[in-house]
Amino acid sequence: MGNVDDDGATFQQSYAKCSNGTTKASTPISNGHIPNQHLAESCRDEQQQPQQQKVPQDEQEEELQQLLLNKQLKFSAPAYTEIRTRSGGLNFKGVSESSYHPAKQAEANGYVSQTGSSCDKFKPSRADGVLSAEQEHYQKTSFEDVPLYTACLTYLGFYLLMILGYINQLLFVPKVATEKGREGYVALYDAFESFYSRYVYRRVRDCWNRPICSVPGDELVLKDRVTDDYGWSFRFTGTETRCLNLGSYNYLGFAAATGPCADDSENRARQDGLAYCSPRSELGNTQLHIDLERLTARYCGVEDAIVFGMGFATNALNLPSLLGPDCLVVSDEKNHASIILGLRLSGATTRVFKHNSMRDLERVLRNGICYGNPKKGGKPWNKIMILVEGIFSMEGSIVRLPEIIALKKKYKAYLYLDEAHSIGSMGPTGRGVVEYFGADPKDVDILMGTFTKSFGSAGGYIAGSKKLIDFLRTNSHAHCYAGSISPPIVQQIYTSMSIIMGEDNTDTGRQKVQQLARNTRYFRRRLAQMGVITYGHEDSPVVPMLVYLFSKIGAVIRTLTTRHIAVVGAGFPATPIMEGRIRFCLSAAHTKEQLDYALDVIDDVSENLGLKYSRKPRDPHPIEY
Amino acid sequence: MLNNIANFANYWWFRYLMVTELYVVEKWERVTIHAIFMILFCVFWYFNYSVLLSLTGNLFKYTPIGNILPAVPQTAGIKVT
Repeated sequence: MGNVDDDGATFQQSYAKCSNGTTKASTPISNGHIPNQHLAESCRDEQQQPQQQKVPQDEQEEELQQLLLNKQLKFSAPAYTEIRTRSGGLNFKGVSESSYHPAKQAEANGYVSQTGSSCDKFKPSRADGVLSAEQEHYQKTSFEDVPLYTACLTYLGFYLLMILGYINQLLFVPKVATEKGREGYVALYDAFESFYSRYVYRRVRDCWNRPICSVPGDELVLKDRVTDDYGWSFRFTGTETRCLNLGSYNYLGFAAATGPCADDSENRARQDGLAYCSPRSELGNTQLHIDLERLTARYCGVEDAIVFGMGFATNALNLPSLLGPDCLVVSDEKNHASIILGLRLSGATTRVFKHNSMRDLERVLRNGICYGNPKKGGKPWNKIMILVEGIFSMEGSIVRLPEIIALKKKYKAYLYLDEAHSIGSMGPTGRGVVEYFGADPKDVDILMGTFTKSFGSAGGYIAGSKKLIDFLRTNSHAHCYAGSISPPIVQQIYTSMSIIMGEDNTDTGRQKVQQLARNTRYFRRRLAQMGVITYGHEDSPVVPMLVYLFSKIGAVIRTLTTRHIAVVGAGFPATPIMEGRIRFCLSAAHTKEQLDYALDVIDDVSENLGLKYSRKPRDPHPIEY
Repeated sequence: MLNNIANFANYWWFRYLMVTELYVVEKWERVTIHAIFMILFCVFWYFNYSVLLSLTGNLFKYTPIGNILPAVPQTAGIKVT
């Protein structure tokens, strides 16, 4: 269902590139796979010299065959090693493993038949509309405590790694580039940061920054690399691994190289080129941008909107124009780095409240109002602003919007809502958390969001009242000084947004949103049934699975890669030391078969690595999709 | 049978390396840490044997059996009839 409009098979396109040359292009995509470039190159060579064929065709073909064979032999070993298992082998509980496998799907265009998605009725949760906002939040959100022994082991292991790191630093010269002729200068780089990345992060560095070589749709192709010196350097093996993609923020599956969005963007690029080479306040403003802003405003249900070329900069550069030194900002402790940077730039006084805790928020607000601005001897603040995100990307939790709106009205504070992850992925028609909670978008003073995630493009927007947007148009650095958005990128946003809104006269968008909601519920419930600890709200498509230990993050990512599943891990600098996690991001492009395959593998891996920490009662019944 | 035992040992060795973070470190570091663990264990054992044992013995008025038996000179040997 997620690929309703892009049935044209992204992977067929990328893999059958040189089918005109030879039929050998259909090598099974696996860890021992030879990438297309070589084949494409050899195909091109063949095509380029049709006249001077001194070498007989057969011989050349044989040579190519030999090349293929050699490569296959050379790189048949996977880049990652298998984990040890209890039984000495893998045994899947379900039978669904055989029905889907990313590596085996290459010949079937990369898409499986959609047998599991026949039912299109959206199943609401038991708590929906029955309980009060607070009770519903507590019923749907889970932040299970860590078992004590795991906590102790995690700290112990961390100290052990640090000690080993210091020993390492003492004994060996690190294999990094060093500056020469810099006597008398102070150190340019932060000492602890470089120590941490050299001696702790480096050990599992192969699990991050992995280069990919395909569209990040429901599946992606990882470029294999191996390290011979424990992560100091990598070399590419020349092979590729086709993986099920559980890591990209492609919530609605709009990241595709085919389909209406890609076609429109291509046409737009042919018509308008790739850049306007000017900020919008000078010579970079076009009808396209104005249309996009109007559409965004309509999409969010507010008066006006303004768009920017970069999501991160939307937060980091617009907050300073809205806030000044005499403002009080009440910010959630799990807010994104872009918000924190924006607040620091603005110079406003920032008070942090506990993650999603309304009691703490009220306490901070009340104190702020009662005691006033201490820098000005207790005079009232210029403004008070509450800063929250829709879906918290590391925790997978959803903001308690109805309660925050009530508090904001009570204390007359402004509300800035960052819907980076939630826009498109939440609510019955994808309008974000505001629609999910049935709130009035006009109650939120500043609606911010990105186009990077659900819309499969780049950029960000701020939506709100006409007055706010006009103010930003004159004052925002991201508007006045940054170049205007590239035309094909605007077109991708415009087309995907129209599809979600149903303005292309199909219900593709609606189906995508519902598919994502069902995938999310199914995936989260199956994980809970397995007994692993997941954080967050049951409707949030960001699913962090807690593994706690540093080495387990590495082991899980490596093992899942051997099983052709690409995921993202998050460790210490991004999370507290205690809470290393694997983050799954679901997408409407995933089918039930793909999720079943992933879940079976995750079940097996978590059994063998001991990730089933949860002490909650498990649902004994099979989970319905 | 043997295979099973080997599998079991291998698996739990792997789990042990996993929880102590030794899974991600280099070979020589693993050996070093294990050596440190062994030294720590020995030190603790010796401490328990030499200090804690006599301390608890004094505390609870318990005398080891060796101190009650009549002392026999090393050269005399015990006469068994």
